[in-house]
Amino acid sequence: MTRATDIVCVFRIQFAGTRREVGPFLLAAFVFPAAMYLFANAVAGGDGASQQSRLRFLSGSIVFSLSLTSISWLGYLLLENRFTGRLKLFATMPLAPSSYVFGVLLFAVAQAAVSTTTLLVLGRVLGVQISPNFLLLMIVILLTILCLCGLGVIVAARARSFSQGSLLTDTLGAGLIFLAPVYYAPEMMPRALRVFAQLLPTTFAARAVQATLGGGHEIGNDLLALSLMAVATLALGFRLMKWRED
Amino acid sequence: MVARIKSLSPIELERAKPAPAPREIAVRMLDLVKTYRDGTEANRGISLEVQRGEVVAIVGPNGAGKTTFLRQLTTELRPTSGSVSVFGVDALAEPQQAKRAMGITPQEAGVFERLTVREHFELFAHLKHLSKREAREAAREVIAELELIGETNKSVGSLSGGQRRRILIGLALLGRPPLLVLDEPTTGLDPASRRAVWGVIRRAVNTGTTVILSTHYMEEAERLSDRIAVIAAGRLIAFGTLDELLTRMDRSYSLSYRDPIDPLSDLRIRYFASFAQAQQHIARELLSEYSIARASLEDVYFTLTGEPFDKDETETIG
Repeated sequence: MTRATDIVCVFRIQFAGTRREVGPFLLAAFVFPAAMYLFANAVAGGDGASQQSRLRFLSGSIVFSLSLTSISWLGYLLLENRFTGRLKLFATMPLAPSSYVFGVLLFAVAQAAVSTTTLLVLGRVLGVQISPNFLLLMIVILLTILCLCGLGVIVAARARSFSQGSLLTDTLGAGLIFLAPVYYAPEMMPRALRVFAQLLPTTFAARAVQATLGGGHEIGNDLLALSLMAVATLALGFRLMKWRED
Repeated sequence: MVARIKSLSPIELERAKPAPAPREIAVRMLDLVKTYRDGTEANRGISLEVQRGEVVAIVGPNGAGKTTFLRQLTTELRPTSGSVSVFGVDALAEPQQAKRAMGITPQEAGVFERLTVREHFELFAHLKHLSKREAREAAREVIAELELIGETNKSVGSLSGGQRRRILIGLALLGRPPLLVLDEPTTGLDPASRRAVWGVIRRAVNTGTTVILSTHYMEEAERLSDRIAVIAAGRLIAFGTLDELLTRMDRSYSLSYRDPIDPLSDLRIRYFASFAQAQQHIARELLSEYSIARASLEDVYFTLTGEPFDKDETETIG
């Protein structure tokens, strides 16, 4: 119970601390991914683009949004806490490091809920035909966030400076989208990159989101891969995010 | 009839005790050694016991190991060897449990600039497991005590450096923990703010709180503390009351006077190990106009740490 209270409290502190930064949040969570949807759709022929392509672009934009909020934006917050001494403030409290990380994760989940909903509404407005199983979609999104947040935590915990960490999270966030078959089919990628992309969480996330939005249910392998990656990245992130120095 | 028994945590039991026992140990640190990976020996076997309700000031030159010592107490830094117990809780094995008994002000920490002062205190009070009502009350008390009422609804980012420092002290006070660990709490504060913080510390002590603070201000250590620990080069070189530390000096009293035969001569200053020796000198020299001053903590500090000291002005007798 205490742990749950601690997590909610960290979430509230983070939320209250960033509530006036609506602009950057909207950019990360909605404006960039929405612009990417419009761009991809235009390149694919605009109104002439197939429903399958539109579905891919929408699911790609949702994963792009998750990547921006979970790695770039969240990583920025973690780095800011660490390098401005706020992390030390949390460390003076009777709080487990994992509660701190989960509190920040909860913040990411809240952001993802807002951004995904907004992008789904945009997709419907722009005529994308979707028939999602919302429970399955929520599971996919949650696992994607956990996996990407784990990566953000690792970078934030290991970075030697704020600028280095910021650069790494931005590069990682963008790289995971554009080096994976998120906005295009895997067959369009160079062979070597295709093999590499099979190791990226965004590949599984994009495939699972697209299948779920299209009404499909056969995403067991993608969920398994995302689950394993989430466990691995978070376990490493928790291990690295310490209150106590050796 | 069913009796309902509320289970209390060890810290709650600790705080619920009626009166402070005179010799009860609040903090026990044994043989703390901290050697960094690059081989730097920051603490070289420091042992210290602090009694409940006591104020202990840690003084020492820059780089002496004061902050390293306090960071080990607050569980922020793992000692290479040694043990730390806080009200009987092994702080190395159970850091969170130990921290429940502590209010900590680090030497440097950031604040959430976009939160208001009230939000800062209320939200962090929740992290100390106070209920919503208790958190609100604790925030109100701390804001009043630190003279931040006018800033209650201002964002922390708009406050001065001194006011931000007071917020860090206020965060330590939330929930009235039985132990306060304050690393240079008044550094950067103007004289009025410094005295306000002293008042806060004194009031906490009056309610039985144990305080361990590090400071570079000898006046602060002298005024606030019951005992003073002097750390130099990673070692505890002295620990005791001011009187006890003064006995370790060969120059506890200074006598200022002018030559009685030549009253226009320069002022002379001589140092003595005891007041009696100073009196003997007065009698021997037939001095009629003079002043005797007791050595200060600063004198003790310079003597013990070997820090640069203007020896040309002194002459030691006794």
